[in-house]
Amino acid sequence: MTTTLGSTTTTAASARGLTRTYGAGDNLVHALRGVDLDLPAGRFTAIMGPSGSGKSTLMHCLAGLDAATSGSVTVAGRDLAGLDDTALTVFRREHIGFVFQAFNLLPMLTAGQNIVLPLELAGRPVDRERYDQVVGVLGIADRLGHLPSQLSGGQQQRVAIARALVTQPDIVFADEPTGNLDSEASAEVLGHLRRSVRELGMTVVMVTHELDAAAYADDVVVIHDGAVTAHLTDPGQDELVAALRGRAA
Amino acid sequence: MRTVLVASMRHHTRRYVAASVAVVIGVAFIVVIGMLTGATRSGLTADAGAPVSGVDLVVSPDAPRDTQRLVDAAADGGFPALTLGYAMEPVSRDGVQLAQSVDVAEVSLDPRVQWQVLEDGRFPSAAGEALADVNRAKSNDVAIGDVVRIGSGPAATDVEVVGLVDSPAAMGAALYVPWDDLRHFEDTLWVDAVAWGGTEAQATLVARSATVETADGWVAARQAEISRGVDVIAIMALLFVVIALFVGVLVITNTFSILFAQRMRDFALLRCVGVTRRQLRRAIRLEALALGVAAAALGVAVGALAGAGLVALVRRWFTDMGPAALDPVWTGAAFAVGTLVTLAAAWLPTRSATRVAPLAALRPDTGVDVRSAAGRWRLALAALGVSAGAALLVLAVAASSVPAMLAGGIASFVGVLLLGPVLVPRLIRLVGGLPGAGPVRRLATGNAVRNPRRTATTAASLLVGVTLTTAILTGLASSRTAIDKDMDRSYPLDATITAGAAPLDGALVDRVADTPGVAEAVGLDGTTATIGRVDVALLGAGRAPGVVRGGADLAPEDGVLLLPYDVVQDLPARTAERVWDDGEVTLTVDGREHTLDVETASGWGRSGLVSAATLASLDPDPQPMAVWARASDGADAEDLSGDLAALAGAAGADLDGGHGNRSWVYLQVDILTGSVVGLLAVAIVIALVGIANTLGLSVLERGRENALLRAMGLTRRQLGRAMAVEGLLLSSVATMLGTAIGLVFAWVGVQVMVTAVVEDAAFTVPVWQVGAVAAVAALAGLAACVLPARRAAAVTPAAGLALD
Repeated sequence: MTTTLGSTTTTAASARGLTRTYGAGDNLVHALRGVDLDLPAGRFTAIMGPSGSGKSTLMHCLAGLDAATSGSVTVAGRDLAGLDDTALTVFRREHIGFVFQAFNLLPMLTAGQNIVLPLELAGRPVDRERYDQVVGVLGIADRLGHLPSQLSGGQQQRVAIARALVTQPDIVFADEPTGNLDSEASAEVLGHLRRSVRELGMTVVMVTHELDAAAYADDVVVIHDGAVTAHLTDPGQDELVAALRGRAA
Repeated sequence: MRTVLVASMRHHTRRYVAASVAVVIGVAFIVVIGMLTGATRSGLTADAGAPVSGVDLVVSPDAPRDTQRLVDAAADGGFPALTLGYAMEPVSRDGVQLAQSVDVAEVSLDPRVQWQVLEDGRFPSAAGEALADVNRAKSNDVAIGDVVRIGSGPAATDVEVVGLVDSPAAMGAALYVPWDDLRHFEDTLWVDAVAWGGTEAQATLVARSATVETADGWVAARQAEISRGVDVIAIMALLFVVIALFVGVLVITNTFSILFAQRMRDFALLRCVGVTRRQLRRAIRLEALALGVAAAALGVAVGALAGAGLVALVRRWFTDMGPAALDPVWTGAAFAVGTLVTLAAAWLPTRSATRVAPLAALRPDTGVDVRSAAGRWRLALAALGVSAGAALLVLAVAASSVPAMLAGGIASFVGVLLLGPVLVPRLIRLVGGLPGAGPVRRLATGNAVRNPRRTATTAASLLVGVTLTTAILTGLASSRTAIDKDMDRSYPLDATITAGAAPLDGALVDRVADTPGVAEAVGLDGTTATIGRVDVALLGAGRAPGVVRGGADLAPEDGVLLLPYDVVQDLPARTAERVWDDGEVTLTVDGREHTLDVETASGWGRSGLVSAATLASLDPDPQPMAVWARASDGADAEDLSGDLAALAGAAGADLDGGHGNRSWVYLQVDILTGSVVGLLAVAIVIALVGIANTLGLSVLERGRENALLRAMGLTRRQLGRAMAVEGLLLSSVATMLGTAIGLVFAWVGVQVMVTAVVEDAAFTVPVWQVGAVAAVAALAGLAACVLPARRAAAVTPAAGLALD
């Protein structure tokens, strides 16, 4: 397994000895067991693994949605340990963007209102140029006045991506963004995520269990039983399958 | 299905808490009212037969003079007779007034009808001796051996207290004197019946038109009469129970609707695995029945405890109250009402819940986004209700018709409630969109209006209480201004001290002015005139003193004498006739005769009023003859009249004035206001439980959404604030609407009921009271969201996203 990183890239997020347990005593569950990981900036990284491997927990910890039991997480050069809930929330809204599998949009707000919501929460003015650029890249300019219930699944996810990008975050986390979509809409959404890395220079980290989705990524992190088993850079299909199969056996 | 039922009841217990609280409060309310009225009834009817226990017959005389004849006949025949009734007279001791109005009844000198239970001392053996009620004696510090003066003016009688007695509520009086003393107070004496030791023939012989009945029959009739009085109070209180239960139904219906919406997928899943629609419906109804039974039982328990506590508390001050007891019929009815109300409230939500298609379970999880909108028929019905109601209200004002007013009020209010899903969200959007809105307020506004019907029902529950409270407070305040004007006319002076035979000490006016509770006092000069052998003080009232209330004109023109009605009645017949027919009177001052024009009025005590110039022509050297005083606002009537009576008694003068009556009437209005607001408060409390409930259930429903917002950068405090703003928007819109409707209803009520009786009644808004109700209701909405907001904020974003 190759663990080479481009020396010219900087690190958007990193974890050191990251452990997360749930429950206590006999019910103690180790979701993450001492993960060390560096996610390079300006790249599209996929975190892969089977159900229950701890990939969602890893993402939640990296994104400051969940607190680590031990170990440290650094995002955009900031150690998340020691931030209280409010500081963490403010940090999230200034530096991190999210795209979830479902429940991405607030049902009572229009697509446009959903997109600018993070800016409003932070009390930041909407940068019209950036807004128009993001909306244009994602191809949803004619859907902004619609409520989420009036949009298709793929359109809803594109609105969610636009919302994640509009704040110009240091890193965007996407949790199974295509989990609820058919293959055509999936391809469309993944293409847009990749374009946002290529054309807008964003850093995107995507959790997925679909090989097809991972194929859109630059790098792939494979996680199994709460530990990182591979961190591949620009893997080929065969290399990726081998990395997954090697551990899954 | 039973396993499903039991499991789901167990699983959703916490979500049912609020609905149960509404039922528990309603049922407990009914039980408490039953216990209070029951204890009052048993206390008041107990020993009602004591006064007639020594005789077989009771004679109810037709006219006052029959009473005297009956008493005389009994004395002649050597059998006992006891008058049952009382006189209301002031009582003083050593010139100090003990009480302004005391009930005085007869104690017989004949041991066979001495029914009072002696606690200390002995029964009177002759006129001039009296019994006192042991409790009243204690509170006025009266002991055996004290000599008290009963009554005022020529009827005043001194008696010595020779015994203390305990007497039951129904027939009790504060003082008992023999008939020869009691009959002095014929002005205020009212005899209901005479306990008769003779035969029927002996009674009808002297009082032909009197009714004679057996003692037992008379007691039964009396007890029934007391019971009816208590029943009226119970029915009035039940009116408020109905209001509280109506609000309860709104809260419970809303709870079930929300719960069922959240469980829609469960229901669909059950349908998928083969549960028929009928089975599902029965399971849900059984769930509601179980909830109703449990909550009603708890309500009975809470009510019984609260009732027992309240009765015990009241008995400490009000000894006439009987012991607390649960009436089985009443309690059973309360239990049944609680259960039925719960079942009824679950009826509609159940119907819509069971309409869920089995396929709904298989659809991808898109989150709970229950939308509801107002149907067309609902809008049509609402429009009909509002317009018909408004028309009826207009008619009611035009025709002063109370039935039209009630029908119009109910129709238009129901119309507004039906219009709720359209009206309330618009109002919330309007208020939420006021300038200065940040993201938190926009979020709260969006959340508050996303489910119009749920929002409307929640608002309606609070609307009911606020509307009624506002309407009643405003209505009572308006009738109070009407009462004020009426009082000013009838009692222009709070207190008057009028000299008897000798002029007053010139310093008396200062002593009166220094008395606590006196705002202002003026002294009036005058002289003593004789009109047809009756001595009357004549006062020069030209100065238009500031102590006179309202616009009463107590300053006669020159040459005119203003005489009170009751002085004219005491004049010799021929003189009085001249006053009534010719408006003239001849009076003698210092042996010289004068003839003056005379007008009659009342309200300033036993004296004649003339202008200063007329007084000077009658008597060149007038003496201080009267002091008029105006009480300060809120002065205690008993204290004030006691203090002034002491001053008047020492000066040998008469005390008169309207302050006591005025205070008593105001006290009645205050008690009425207090009880109505207290009873309506129950409905408002239930409504607030409903608001907390709606918000709390919404928190559960919006778990993922809130987590998403938190992930995107909404701080815990912002989330809590959004919930608070949502609660505040709901309650403030309901409050504003309620206040507006309440004021309209009050205006109509005043036009229909008060203006019809008192012409110049002004519509008065008690700004402070109405404002306080509005502030309490709106702020309580804020308080209602404290718990839900804490629960919402406690969830971490990661945990919230994992919620299903």
